[in-house]
Amino acid sequence: MFEHILSVMIFLPLLVGVALLILPVSKNGVRILGLAVAVVVLVCGLKVYADYSGGGGLEFVEKLNWIEGLGISYHVGVDGISLFVLMAAAVLFPMVFMLFTAKSKAYYCNLLIALGAMVGAIAAADLVVFYIFWEIMLLPIFFIIGLYGGENRIAATIKITIYTIAGSLCMLAALVYVAVAHHTQTGVWSFEIARMASLELQGGFAVAAFVGMMLAFGIKIPLFPLHTWLPEAYTEAPYSTTFILSAIMAKIGVYGVIRLVVPVFEVEMARYAIILAYCGVIGLMYCGIAAIAQKDFKRMLAFSSASHMGIIALGIFCMNVQALTGTLFQIVAHATSTGILFLFLGILEERTETRHIDDLGGVAYKAPVFATFFAIAMLASCGLPGTSGFIGEFLIILGAVKFNMVIAVLAGTSVVIGVCYMLWLFQRVFFEEANSKTANFKDLSAYETLVFLPVIILILVMGIYPQPFIAKIEPAAQKHILQMATQDNPQLAERLDESGLLKLTND
Amino acid sequence: MEMEQTVTYLVLIPLMPLVGALVIGLLHMFTCTTRPLSERLYGILGVTGPVIATILAVKTFFELKGMPEEGRYFSQKVFTWFNVGELDVAMGFLADPLSVLMLLFVTFIGTLIHFYSIGYMAGDENFGKFFAYLNLFLGSMLILVLADGPVVMFVGWEGVGLCSYLLISFYSKERDNVLAGNKAFIVNRIGDLGFILGMSLLFWAIGSGGFDYLSLRENASALAPGMGLAICLLLFVGATGKSAQIPLYVWLPDAMAGPTPVSALIHAATMVTAGVYMVARFSFLYVQAPLAGAVVAWVGILTALLAAIFGMFQKDIKKVLAYSTVSQLGYMFAGVGVAAYSAGIFHVFTHAFFKALLFLGAGSVICALHHQQDIWKMGGLKAKMPTTYWTMLIGCLALAGCPLLSGFFSKDEILYMALANGYPGVWLVGVLVAAMTAYYTFRMFFLVFHGSARDEEAYAHAKESPKVMTVPLVILAIGAVFAGYLNLPAIFGGHQQVTHWLAGSLVEHHPHASLGLELLAIAASIAAFAIGAFIAYRKFGQGAEEPEFQGFAKFAYNLFYVDQFYHAVIVRPYKAFGAAIQRTLEPYVTDGHVKLSSLLYQLIGQAFKVFQVGYVRIYAIYMVIGLSLMSLFLSQTLN
Repeated sequence: MFEHILSVMIFLPLLVGVALLILPVSKNGVRILGLAVAVVVLVCGLKVYADYSGGGGLEFVEKLNWIEGLGISYHVGVDGISLFVLMAAAVLFPMVFMLFTAKSKAYYCNLLIALGAMVGAIAAADLVVFYIFWEIMLLPIFFIIGLYGGENRIAATIKITIYTIAGSLCMLAALVYVAVAHHTQTGVWSFEIARMASLELQGGFAVAAFVGMMLAFGIKIPLFPLHTWLPEAYTEAPYSTTFILSAIMAKIGVYGVIRLVVPVFEVEMARYAIILAYCGVIGLMYCGIAAIAQKDFKRMLAFSSASHMGIIALGIFCMNVQALTGTLFQIVAHATSTGILFLFLGILEERTETRHIDDLGGVAYKAPVFATFFAIAMLASCGLPGTSGFIGEFLIILGAVKFNMVIAVLAGTSVVIGVCYMLWLFQRVFFEEANSKTANFKDLSAYETLVFLPVIILILVMGIYPQPFIAKIEPAAQKHILQMATQDNPQLAERLDESGLLKLTND
Repeated sequence: MEMEQTVTYLVLIPLMPLVGALVIGLLHMFTCTTRPLSERLYGILGVTGPVIATILAVKTFFELKGMPEEGRYFSQKVFTWFNVGELDVAMGFLADPLSVLMLLFVTFIGTLIHFYSIGYMAGDENFGKFFAYLNLFLGSMLILVLADGPVVMFVGWEGVGLCSYLLISFYSKERDNVLAGNKAFIVNRIGDLGFILGMSLLFWAIGSGGFDYLSLRENASALAPGMGLAICLLLFVGATGKSAQIPLYVWLPDAMAGPTPVSALIHAATMVTAGVYMVARFSFLYVQAPLAGAVVAWVGILTALLAAIFGMFQKDIKKVLAYSTVSQLGYMFAGVGVAAYSAGIFHVFTHAFFKALLFLGAGSVICALHHQQDIWKMGGLKAKMPTTYWTMLIGCLALAGCPLLSGFFSKDEILYMALANGYPGVWLVGVLVAAMTAYYTFRMFFLVFHGSARDEEAYAHAKESPKVMTVPLVILAIGAVFAGYLNLPAIFGGHQQVTHWLAGSLVEHHPHASLGLELLAIAASIAAFAIGAFIAYRKFGQGAEEPEFQGFAKFAYNLFYVDQFYHAVIVRPYKAFGAAIQRTLEPYVTDGHVKLSSLLYQLIGQAFKVFQVGYVRIYAIYMVIGLSLMSLFLSQTLN
């Protein structure tokens, strides 16, 4: 089984998801089977994490020729860039089966299909494989929001559909362009992602393909001003789906930029990084300020999540090893803080039957465990030292200072903006006097406490002792930056030499 | 560094209170709604960590004292915290003269206040939670003090900020208390932005050879002057937040919403002095950027002046003390700003004793009067509360700068150094503030303890506080009297032991002693004390009636409307912008590209509708046209 560990992680959930959709199994049966599959994926994920050597290259590689004439193959693998995204998906996914009951069994099947496709997209080492899984990954989300969403689900679904299809078309065109360019420059057909890094892409078409690719990933992240689908989609989707959208899928957007855009379009990236960085920091401030005006706590957290994604994306565009490592670290940190907060809000709505912040109060006195867990996740999302949130945010701001001081100051505002709405939310929900809606609020049950405890511990461990995690991703980040620097980009190479790379080049 | 000595217990000093916080917190969290545990248990658990930390602190001090003066430090690197590229940050702790001086009084006063709190918080339903927070605070403060570099210091820095927030909003059922907590956290975070940016710049400038104080100090000479100035100013922004200086002082008076032991420990003796400690820690940077030092000195002394003005007109006993704290912090910054780092730190040290004493004394009074805080409703308590009275008198004399008490020596040292280092303006304002300090201190003192009772009923029930509260008062009073003698200057026959002790940690130039200047400074300080205290005695010594504030007094009582100004200029526009995004920008502007593309799509659809005529023969013609065009294209490309 372990020779094909990635294939198991991809196809087990996909096939089980499709099979359960067809077979006559009860809703609870599907839930339990779904959980079992998610746990298998989790165990495989942990195995991958433990066995990953940290050398910076692609490991656990599986390669099967598929369409030989065009050089397309089923090719998957994991390296330091994808490892943490993969772990976020594998570790967090079981929780969605554990916590909320869904309206129908198809909901669980859709979740399983999404899981398999996400792992596929993360592990893909071939452009076509990536594109296929990317598309499959989006389908279950349409169905879930459209079928099981809140009151305005149709509007939200239409909007996310328009956005995503537009993005996907742009990406497809860009992928074809890249593959054709590879054929023109080398004379062979190939869709292998690693090979694309050696291409020299310049001129109008290259810029257009770059823009197309950035549009597709920018929508998913989302990067300002492409975020407008997010508040609706996040608010209308069931909590466990919002959790997946925020904790995992948004990260695959970030990952896509690092994996596909940065190495392939290094010239365009170097040229337009400053614009993209501004998109990141403006989005961070814009969404963060918008969050303070929200009356609905789910929508507030949606804006908060979008705000954090701005700074996470910024880490890519600063193009130094500190910022990139910060982004990769923050992928998991953000998933375990903001992602978990969505689940907490789900519990809050389930027990108080309201999403209106002003309707609540005094929960801390009724539910100290819930309040403490919520506070820890909230402080992590605010980037408090001692929690996972600090390490990533600090590395990104530190890297931004090297990149551009204006960007760094704007990025730094996140430490203020984040606490403004979070403290207000905490005050209105957990402090002050309890009222009729919260008077009988039940604390987390022993079962729920146990479900959340590992994540709470992870938040603290990643904040207090992050080096083992950093050691897994940093070499890959180094290699990635170095690759960019050495390729026909003297200006960038010069900038990188004086930053974090002397050590590596000296070795 | 081959001379480096390693000890293994340094980490235990902050760890002990942190473990205490964890244990108490977990116990409280899982039992408070079902079977609350006894206060006795929480009390014992609560003081255990601080007591052990204090013992270890004393041990550290003696070990350090036994080392030769050159290279008097030891450190402990517990583990690599994170290492990315050249950025190598260890979870490391450093005991050197500066950190150990801070360590001694933080653990000592922290432990005293833990004991005092057992009495003060008795009967509170969240007794356990209080001790968990207080332990967490002490642990964070000890991380801040013992950190071996700026990033670890930032951990403590943010940790104490969090605890400050939690403890200000401790009585969280009342909205105002929580709002005060929020304000403290947010204002501090504005400062932290400066800290993070300053720290990042520092790393890129000279941090690649090691990002701890000792390495940074070695490499500091490589710093470009402009860069040094920028780093110092950014770090100082962080200090103005944590230590409540202009323009970020506004949170500290509101922070008095927390329980009084918290005000004493966090918002007077320890946390708020962290900014001064940071500037002293980075003395090797500030000596290279005299302009930054001047900014620090002037911001400090102007804050001292502003807060003293506010303090003269407050009615709430804790607000008087809060503004006094802001004002005294201003002095400390004036000290470190004029490059008299040891003088600034020495004032941190003495202030910790007398201000903690004054807050705990005020707490004793507040407890006795059933949470009355208005000094215009007190009076005549001298007879009822003798221990509180006499200890408060000592605290007031020390704060007011009465000769021979601790506050006098430390304040005088700062003012003299301002004069000697070429800041006569700072000195002049400082002397003025000293007179104002004596005035507002004794105004408070006489209104509370002398004259006749203004609220008969509360007076009738008032009685002296229990031993667990008065014993700490007595201990602190002893400190408030004698702490000053640790750094007696030569003119009083002393040897400036603290200054000498700190020499190993600070980069400090001592000016040539000038007897004339020294005498001038001392005379001015004594005169300021005498004038201020005398006016206060004349006005309030025999009892006085509450005046109606008018004109300038009203303006000052309302704090020059600074809060309202901030609200109008920052808070309201910020919220309004948020609302505008929600109502206008988001649906109509940023979403414009989605709306535009769907509109375009519709328009194109409308345009193509023209061709959809519905007759098969027309469609056949389209087909023929299409096919011929295609074959034309194919034949062209094939040829």
